[in-house]
Amino acid sequence: MNTLPQQLANGLLLGSMYGLIAIGYTMVYGIVQLINFAHGEIFMTGAFGALTVYFYVLPDNTAMIIAVPLMLIGGALVAILIAVGAERFAYRPLRGAPRLAPLITAIGLSLALQEVVRNFYPDADRARAFPGLDATHDIGSVTIKDADIFLIVAAIVCMSGLAFFVRRSRTGRAMQATAQDPDTAQLMGIDTNRIIVIAFAIGGFFAAVAAVAYGLKYGNVDYRMGFLMGLKAFTAAVLGGIGNIYGAMLGGIVLGVAETLASAYIDGIPGMQQLGGQGWANVWAFCLLIIVLLVRPQGLLGERVADRA
Amino acid sequence: MTDLTKTTTAPEPGLIPLPAAAARALTLVGGIATAASAFLAWTWTSEFPGDLTITGYPGGLQWLTFTGGLLITLFALSGYGIRGLGWLLPAGNNGPTVLTALGAFGTTWFTVIAIAVNLDGLVNLEPGAYVAAVASLLAVIGAFALPAGADETHNAKAAFAAGLRKGGIPSNTRIVIATFKGLAAYIGKPDRIPAPGALAPWVERAVITVVTAVGLGVFTYGIDTEYGELFIGYLILVVFAMWALHSAGLTDRFSRLVAHHRGFTLAMGFAAAIAFPFTQTDDHYANIGVNILIFGTVALGLNIVVGLAGLLDLGYVAFLGVGAYTAALVSGSEFSRFSGVQFPFWAAALSGAAASLIFGVLIGAPTLRLRGDYLAIVTLGFGEIFRIAVNNMDGVSGPDITNGPNGIPSIPDLDFFGFKFGEAHDIGGFTLGRFANYYLLMVLIMAIVVLVYTRAADSRIGRSWIAIREDETAATAMGINGFRVKLIAFALGASLAGLAGTVSAHVTYSVVPTPYQFAGSTPPNSAFLLAAVVLGGMGTVAGPLLGAALLYLLPEKLVFLQDKSLLAFGIALIILMRFRPEGIIANRRNQLEFHETGQLDVPDTETLADDPAVTKAGA
Repeated sequence: MNTLPQQLANGLLLGSMYGLIAIGYTMVYGIVQLINFAHGEIFMTGAFGALTVYFYVLPDNTAMIIAVPLMLIGGALVAILIAVGAERFAYRPLRGAPRLAPLITAIGLSLALQEVVRNFYPDADRARAFPGLDATHDIGSVTIKDADIFLIVAAIVCMSGLAFFVRRSRTGRAMQATAQDPDTAQLMGIDTNRIIVIAFAIGGFFAAVAAVAYGLKYGNVDYRMGFLMGLKAFTAAVLGGIGNIYGAMLGGIVLGVAETLASAYIDGIPGMQQLGGQGWANVWAFCLLIIVLLVRPQGLLGERVADRA
Repeated sequence: MTDLTKTTTAPEPGLIPLPAAAARALTLVGGIATAASAFLAWTWTSEFPGDLTITGYPGGLQWLTFTGGLLITLFALSGYGIRGLGWLLPAGNNGPTVLTALGAFGTTWFTVIAIAVNLDGLVNLEPGAYVAAVASLLAVIGAFALPAGADETHNAKAAFAAGLRKGGIPSNTRIVIATFKGLAAYIGKPDRIPAPGALAPWVERAVITVVTAVGLGVFTYGIDTEYGELFIGYLILVVFAMWALHSAGLTDRFSRLVAHHRGFTLAMGFAAAIAFPFTQTDDHYANIGVNILIFGTVALGLNIVVGLAGLLDLGYVAFLGVGAYTAALVSGSEFSRFSGVQFPFWAAALSGAAASLIFGVLIGAPTLRLRGDYLAIVTLGFGEIFRIAVNNMDGVSGPDITNGPNGIPSIPDLDFFGFKFGEAHDIGGFTLGRFANYYLLMVLIMAIVVLVYTRAADSRIGRSWIAIREDETAATAMGINGFRVKLIAFALGASLAGLAGTVSAHVTYSVVPTPYQFAGSTPPNSAFLLAAVVLGGMGTVAGPLLGAALLYLLPEKLVFLQDKSLLAFGIALIILMRFRPEGIIANRRNQLEFHETGQLDVPDTETLADDPAVTKAGA
């Protein structure tokens, strides 16, 4: 069970989940230089949106093959709505304000979203069961669940879709232009407000996909799940080079693999016997972030950008 | 638009059409009657807390109504031009009268409704309650019939009248805006407040002393409120009374006075802080006091980092935790890993501060070279990691250092040269309990932090912090070493939190990992600390202390709110950043910065208005 290929597969799966969430951070940051702190909570609300579809909309015992796409739609709707709403009503009025203002707003938003779910969603003050896809398959020495297959397929489809969208479509190129220089882009006739909304919406959609994958994989969701996942996803975005969508996915995978390997093998290193296991995984992920910031602050795929004052 | 309405020199009638003389008389009568009604019996049973049953002896909430009535009376008399009360209304506007009337009305009606709801039904109200309700209502009616404030505020009132005339035709939102503007006409601060006449320095000092004493009295009353209803009533009255003083221009005058006598005010402030435990008979309230002080001190430390240097630290409470754990480890507790070691307090405090400093530099050095946003995330991560790490270091899932989730209990009380903090002491007839002792120690630490804060803020390094906060690129171009000064701010903030942590470890007897998290329902945690700084006012000394006191007392006194407090703070942060990012006590520079017009030389007339109603409700 705990062979190296299995660990690598676990890390890859965890990492692609981080990557999907990290896309939201990186796209928004690339365009408006804002850390959307509440993105982790958007991920969380996506999970609860999907949960709502399964438990309160669909009839009991719906086949998962039908339920999963509908849950995906429900989760995505909720997440996109909240992401776009946050942009419109919380962040947009603060554009041009000192940098601290939107960050504090984001923290407020993040607390408020968590508390709204905890207080007003039925039974959300503890973990809620999420329908799982638990059937397992053996591929060589690696065992994976159906949920893992869903995650991998979703990640590949989403990433290729996004790459195509950003490179080929008119809106995607407008997006690139806005990221490079919003003022000039506006002069060229690009509606930058629309581009920003689209960036938030794409981030929300990817977060919802990750949220459904999370629920299917772990079998439960709770109102606090967005905090740590959001933190890790941001770490992944920085790791890969913030502003770069491929970097976000790469950073996610590197982070996931590093974290899994660290918690599996670090206690084998003499002198660090007690620092292995799941309890310390977050500590290692965070140490990795500090090391990357020290050695290569622009991230793995990032370019050194001059500070925009 | 200005010219059209300003031509009228005769005072316009108020919102409610009544002759000016009648309105003034009505307000005065309402105020006196409100104050008098507090002496009547409001209910027949003492089941409602505070015992409002005895005629002639006001209790609990009735005292608040009495105070409210008294304030209305004072302002109304001042409006009549009674000699000796003119200083209450230097600008001669009626806003303060309206606001105090609203405050007394709010407190009184809240009490009456609370009686009816708590005891199930209006039958529980005695006639006195009706008298109070009607009297306070009369005062409000009278106040709103007074002519609205002078100068530009007329415009808003005209807009309100227009909105009323148009009825529901244009759109509901326009009516709402017009109503807000109409109300704002009353409560807005006049643009020009006549400068006060020259006072002898000793008179100015006497004024500061009296204000400090009153402030201590008001604050002590708030801490000593025994039940939630009293605290709500208190809060309503205090908020409106403060607002009234602000609208009268008295707060501006006072802050000018303070600016003249900074050292004296500071000394008086600390004298008031030291006097607090002597006014308390129950050590429980001293406990609240010491917790507020710890919370406030840490918030002030965070203010150096956030308010002065503009660095967002989201794991600040972890530095408090580092200090607390260090102090606990060397406290001589038998559950400590180093149970044989017992440092004297000064050494423990220094090692706590030093440990926090080391962590601050370790976290800050790699991240402060980068853009500010990284720091927010790295500190957030550090805060979480700290909690996870101390939770794991129990000898089973990690090295045996912090005793895991059980923490380090039974930390012995401090002992200064034979002065045992754990025992009650009699000083000049006053008994100081355990918490009162710690309270006084905390006042000392707070004094150190305030000193460090003000000296640093006024020094070369403080100016560099502000320059970095405003524009890092420009500051660097002027020769400021951005990384170095940012690191100093960050490390200084961390070590001050560590210092406060060492005391908090002794106050609470034990340190456990749970309080040191990002967000929780009780302070201090990182989210609450940040909220205290932002709510109170970034970059000021008084702001974070006020914010900390408010944020500590609200969940403490209003138990029903505890569950929803984080939700309320989340929403409050968003709204605050949108409408009043400079906080309750505004730092002048911040205020200008947050309301930038975008044009350098053109003064924007609307930007410095204090009321949200003026800030273009449609935007």
